[in-house]
Amino acid sequence: MSSSPFKPTAIFALAVAVLNAPASPAAAPGGASGPGPAVAGFSYVQSAGGIDEYRFDANGLQVLVKPDHSAPVASFQVTYHVGSRNEVTGTTGSTHLLEHLMFKGSERFNDPAGDSVKQYLGARGATFNATTYFDRTNYYATLGSGDLEGYVAIEGDRMRNLWLHDADKQSEMTVVRNEFERGKNDPNTILREEVQAAAFVAYPYHHSTIGWKSDIEKVTVEQLRAFYDTFYWPNNATVTFVGDIEPAVALNLVKKYYGAIPRSPHPIPEVVTEEPEQTGARRVTVNKPGKIGSIEIAYKIPGALDKDIPALDVLGDVLFSGKNSRLYRALIDQNLALRAGAGLESMRAAGLFEVSASLSPGVAHETVEKIILAEIEKVKEAGVTADEVSQVIHQHHAAQAYGRDGTAAVIAQLNEWISAGDWTQYIRYDDAVARVTPAEVQRVANRYLSIKQSTTGWFVPDTSK
Amino acid sequence: MNTLYQSIGLAALFLAADVRAADIAKHVVRTQIAGIDVIAYRTGIKDVVTIAGALPAGDVFATENIAAASLTGSMLDKGTLTEDKFAIAKQLDRVGAQLGFGVEEQTLTVQARSLKADLPLVLKIMADELRHPAFSDEEFTKAKIAIDGSMQQQAENTGFRAGEAFSRAVFPAGHPNRQASLDEWHAAIGAITVAQAKDFHRRFYGPSHMTLVLVGDLDIAKIQAEIKRDFAGWNGGVAYRQAPQAASAGPVTDEVVAMPGKTSVSVLMGQATGLRYRDPDALPLRVGFAIFGSGFTGRLMGTVRDKEGLTYGIGANMADDTFDDGDWRIQATFAPSLLDKGLVSTQRELQKWWRDGVSAEELKAKKTDMIGSFNVSLATTGGMAGALLRTVLRGYPLTWIDDYAKSVDAVNLAQVNGAIKRYVDPQKLVIVEAGSVGTATPPHP
Repeated sequence: MSSSPFKPTAIFALAVAVLNAPASPAAAPGGASGPGPAVAGFSYVQSAGGIDEYRFDANGLQVLVKPDHSAPVASFQVTYHVGSRNEVTGTTGSTHLLEHLMFKGSERFNDPAGDSVKQYLGARGATFNATTYFDRTNYYATLGSGDLEGYVAIEGDRMRNLWLHDADKQSEMTVVRNEFERGKNDPNTILREEVQAAAFVAYPYHHSTIGWKSDIEKVTVEQLRAFYDTFYWPNNATVTFVGDIEPAVALNLVKKYYGAIPRSPHPIPEVVTEEPEQTGARRVTVNKPGKIGSIEIAYKIPGALDKDIPALDVLGDVLFSGKNSRLYRALIDQNLALRAGAGLESMRAAGLFEVSASLSPGVAHETVEKIILAEIEKVKEAGVTADEVSQVIHQHHAAQAYGRDGTAAVIAQLNEWISAGDWTQYIRYDDAVARVTPAEVQRVANRYLSIKQSTTGWFVPDTSK
Repeated sequence: MNTLYQSIGLAALFLAADVRAADIAKHVVRTQIAGIDVIAYRTGIKDVVTIAGALPAGDVFATENIAAASLTGSMLDKGTLTEDKFAIAKQLDRVGAQLGFGVEEQTLTVQARSLKADLPLVLKIMADELRHPAFSDEEFTKAKIAIDGSMQQQAENTGFRAGEAFSRAVFPAGHPNRQASLDEWHAAIGAITVAQAKDFHRRFYGPSHMTLVLVGDLDIAKIQAEIKRDFAGWNGGVAYRQAPQAASAGPVTDEVVAMPGKTSVSVLMGQATGLRYRDPDALPLRVGFAIFGSGFTGRLMGTVRDKEGLTYGIGANMADDTFDDGDWRIQATFAPSLLDKGLVSTQRELQKWWRDGVSAEELKAKKTDMIGSFNVSLATTGGMAGALLRTVLRGYPLTWIDDYAKSVDAVNLAQVNGAIKRYVDPQKLVIVEAGSVGTATPPHP
C-alpha cells in the first residue's frame, strides 16, 4: 500500500490533507505575492498542504518549499523533467548514465579539490543519491539544515557546469553495465522489462530506463554532452526544499546559486511519438535457468493525472493488498503462489495496470493465469463491494500520514507528482481516492482490463541446467 | 534465516553534526509493564506511531528442529484462539494499520505502524497474536509449503547464496550466525509438526525479556494502560542465549557457488572478528571499516568503482554482532568477465588499508559523517524506534544514543589502526563467489 500510484522502481545512481486556499494567480514578475514571502525575482504561483510554489522569473525554475521545523534537518531535491522516454534507439540508457556522471565533478566542485558532491555530503552524514526513471531524473540529499547551503551550491553548479570527461564516461559505463547485469540476475526483472517492451511498441516507455546493453556500451561522451545541453536547464527543472528552512531563506538560496543560469537557448523538446492502438492480446515468454515460475499480465491505462487513475488504484488494492484481498485468497491462501501483486505502473503519458504472481513449486502457469483472469472477470461482471472500497480508502489515508514521516519521504513522493506534471496531487490525490465508488471501480475494470489491451508474460524456468 | 511474515512498511531531539548531548534518554519514558520493558518516546509528528519490538525466540532456540522458530513465527498472523486470520486482517486493514512479525537468529521481532487513534487496536491484536496463536493444522500445512517455496526462490538469488556460504565458512557449527543450508531447511520444514511449534511457543514466548518501543504521536499514560490490560497475566520467556566465540580466522577459503545463467557474480570476503558490538575494540574497528567501505566516500567505492569501473556496488562493514561475536565482510558484485580483476583490486585495497592504516584526515571526516548520519537516521519514527531497540538489544543504557557522538569523537587514530591490525588478517580470508563462475568447489562442511 502506498499513498500514491507510483511504484518505487526507479533505478539509482550510486547506485487527509485539505487543499489550502485556492491558488492565487501568478503574480507579476519582479516580486512574489500571496501567502509566501516577498522575495524579489520570484513569482508566487500557488500553495497546497503547507507547500508554496514559486517561479524564478529570471530563468523559469520552479521552486517548492515546505517548512517543517520539528527537527534540524532538511531535504533538498532537484527534479529534471527528463527521463528514459526522452531517449531514442542508440542512446537508450543515456539519462541514467548521465545521472551517474553528474557525480564526477565540475571545475568548481570536484574530488581532487576535496569538495565534490560526494565528499561534501559524505563528510556531513547526509543521506543522498539520485534516481532516473521514465519521465524524470532527481538528485537529493537529507542533511542537517545548517549544511544545506553548501549542497544547494553544488546542485546549482552542476546544472550547467558538469565536466563530462571521456575517461569518466569509460569507467562509469562499466559501473552502469554491472548495474544492468545485476538486474538481469533476477528473472522477474527480465520478465517485467519484456512485458513492458511488448506492451509499448512505439512510445519510448518501450525500453527500460537502464537501456539496452549495447547502447550503454557504445554511447559517446559527445552524445551525453548533447543530452545534457538539451535537457539540463532551469526551465526544465523543479527544486524542492522540505524541512528546517524558511521560504524566504530557500528563495534567497535559489537566487544565489541558480540566479546566473539562463533559460535554455532552445525549447525543451517534447516527445511527439504516440502509441498506436493495441489491436489484440500480446504474449511473451522468458526462459532462463531457475526454479520458480512467474506470471505478469499488464493492461494499458492512461497517464498519471487522468481522472480514472484513483479508481484503478483502488481496483489494484481490492485485487491484492492484504489477506482479505481477492488474489490473496485465491492464490496465496491456496498455496498456488508464493507472492502476488496488483497495481499501477503510473507514468506521465501512459501507464500499465499490472497483476503478477510467483508460482508455488509444481503449480502450472495456466492454472494461475486462469484464476487471475477469472478474478478480474468477477470484478467486471459483479463489481466490488462498498466494504472493499472503504477499506482501501482507509489504507490510503493512513499511508498518506505515514508518508509524511520524515523529510526524505516527503520529497520522494513529491518527486513523482512533479514528474507526472502536477505536484499538488501529492496533497489532492488522497481526496480523489476517498471519492472513488464501487461503481467507478467496476467501470474502470471494464474499460481498461480488456484482454485485447493486455500483454501477458510468463517466466518459465529452464530446469535443464 | 531471516523471515518476515507480514508486510510493514518525527522529530527526534538532536543536533546536527556537532558533538553535543541530545537528551533523548531524558525524554524517554521507560517502564516495566506486565513484565515487558516498554520504551515510549513522543515526537512532533502528527498522528503516526511506529512500534519496534523483540523477544528471545529466534532460530538459536530451535535446537530440536531448525525450522521451529520460523514456523512458530509464521503462525502468529494466521489466526488466534478467538479470531481467524481474515477477521484480524480486516480490523487492521480497515484503518490502514500494519502489524508484522519476523524471525532472526536470536529474536522474534515485532513491527507495527498505525495512526494514533488506532494504536489500542494494534496493541490488542499484537498481544492476542503473540499470546494465543491458533496453530490450526490447515494453516500450519500452508505455512510449511509457503516457506519451503520461498526457500527455493531464495536459491536463485546470488546474494542470498553467497551469504549462506559465507556464514558457513566463517562460523562453526552451533554458532548462531551460521546459517543452515537450504537442504537442511528443506528437510526440517518437511519434518516439523504443529505439536513442535506449539511446544516452541510454550517454552520461549513470554514477556520476561521482551522489549517494546513506541515512537511518535503518543499519549503515553494511555498506551501504558492499554499494554497493561492487553498483556496482563502473560508469563514466561527466556533470556537471550550467548554462543561460544567463533574460532579465529582459519586458512584461506575460496568457495564458488555455481549458479547457471547469472549475469552478475555476488562476492563476499571477510572473517570472524570475535567481537560483539559493545566490545571496547568494536567501535574503533567500525570506524576503520567505515573509512574503508562505507557509502560513496569509502575507499572501496572510490577506487574499485569510481576509478576502475569494476562494479556497481562494493562496501565493507561489521555485521551480526548484536548478541554474539560477529564478522566483517566486503560485499561486491562483478560481471563474470571482470571478476578476477575485481577480486585483485579489492584485495589490493584491503592490503593497503590493513598495512598502512587510515589517515588522521580520513578519521576526522568519517567521524563527522558517522555522527551526522546517525542523527539524520533518528529523524523518522521508524529510525528512532529502531535505534532505541538496538540500543537495548546491544546491552547499552538508553543514554548511549545521547553519548554516541561523544563516543565516536573520542576514537583516536592509534585505536583505529591498532584494531585493524588486531582483527583483520588479509592472509586468511574467506572468499565466496556466487554466480556463473565455472565449476563449483565442494561447499564448506
